Amino acid sequence: MTHAALAAEASTVPDERFLIARAQQGDRDAARSLYDAHSRRVHRLVFRLCGDEEMARDLTQDTFIRVFDKLSSFRGESAFATWVHRIAVTVTLNGLRKERRLKRGADDLDVANDLPAPSNNVDPDLRARLRAAIEALPPGSRASVILHDIEGYTHAEIGEMLGIAEGTSKARLFDARSRLRKALAAYANRGE
Amino acid sequence: MTEERLNELLDDARRTWPLPPEPDYQAMWGRIERESFGARRPDVGAARTPSWRTFSLGLAAALMMGIGLGRFTMNQAAPAPTVVTQGVPTDTATPASNAYDKVASELLGRTVVLLTSLPSEARNSSGERFSNQATELLTSTRLLLDSPAASDPRFKDLLEDLELVLAQIAMLQSGRSRQEIDLITDALEERDVVPRIQSAVARLARGD
Repeated sequence: MTHAALAAEASTVPDERFLIARAQQGDRDAARSLYDAHSRRVHRLVFRLCGDEEMARDLTQDTFIRVFDKLSSFRGESAFATWVHRIAVTVTLNGLRKERRLKRGADDLDVANDLPAPSNNVDPDLRARLRAAIEALPPGSRASVILHDIEGYTHAEIGEMLGIAEGTSKARLFDARSRLRKALAAYANRGE
Repeated sequence: MTEERLNELLDDARRTWPLPPEPDYQAMWGRIERESFGARRPDVGAARTPSWRTFSLGLAAALMMGIGLGRFTMNQAAPAPTVVTQGVPTDTATPASNAYDKVASELLGRTVVLLTSLPSEARNSSGERFSNQATELLTSTRLLLDSPAASDPRFKDLLEDLELVLAQIAMLQSGRSRQEIDLITDALEERDVVPRIQSAVARLARGD
């Protein structure tokens, strides 16, 4: 069965258990279907966490290699997407710590030129500075901000992804937001 | 900076944070497949012996799952069949029936996966894993045989067929020989498992 056929079949089944069961038995077409279903969201998440195209591609691949390596241990206690995203976050944070390739400073200001259409009341320079400030946060705090405030995950989901308590996620976000307010204090009134 | 202003900035960031350029997902899959599954197979269809048994068994069982369970659910909803309730009050028949449906659906689905992958993959995979899966499915099958679900004779026949096959697979050991696998697949033929399932599917489709 081709991965397209598997994906079509999976779409007629209420969930992904069929594909997961096949992939757990080494069916690479089923694995490909799972990859097709989740790779875009994972890649976007990884890119937002690491801020680097090449690194995002590598870490997305690393994520799925880890996913299929660990798939036999997936028991369905959580949603498959949550489980995959947790691996993606772990792989990315480890990659960031290992490579120390957080983008900072002037590089980020250059990115401002590539921003999509600006919203009504935010100065482009302030927007770039916010992004730089987020990327300058420690990896754990940065992940909390990206996951909660940018990607829209709940604290419960973030806790599951990062392997921390929900309260810890809230505390991290509070701390990260305090740092952001300090970092942007000098520019508080711009664009208002 | 106030919390409100920061929220405003973060709302803006949510909308304007750059999306990554679309990567070449096909090329990315190449590395994932290589590292996760080894070299790309040359041609699965040509490499494997065409297996009408696995194909027809999977198809029949999938049909069985859809049609049989649909009719089974209808039969359960019909009034006054002789049902062994095992302590389940009659006024909870619908929730109980739904619960059995769910268990049966999961059982058949997992059994299809196991049976269809057995001939082609059992020689290359852990026999212990197959054995453990079959043991687990066998337990569920026997529980269903002792449940009100087995009050439908056609469904009971199917469960008994599955019990025999799963019992054989459960006895698979590591280091099994080709003969062991062939014995099981031959047993599927000797017991006419596939034609009987197909007949059952046809009977159910006719509403006999």
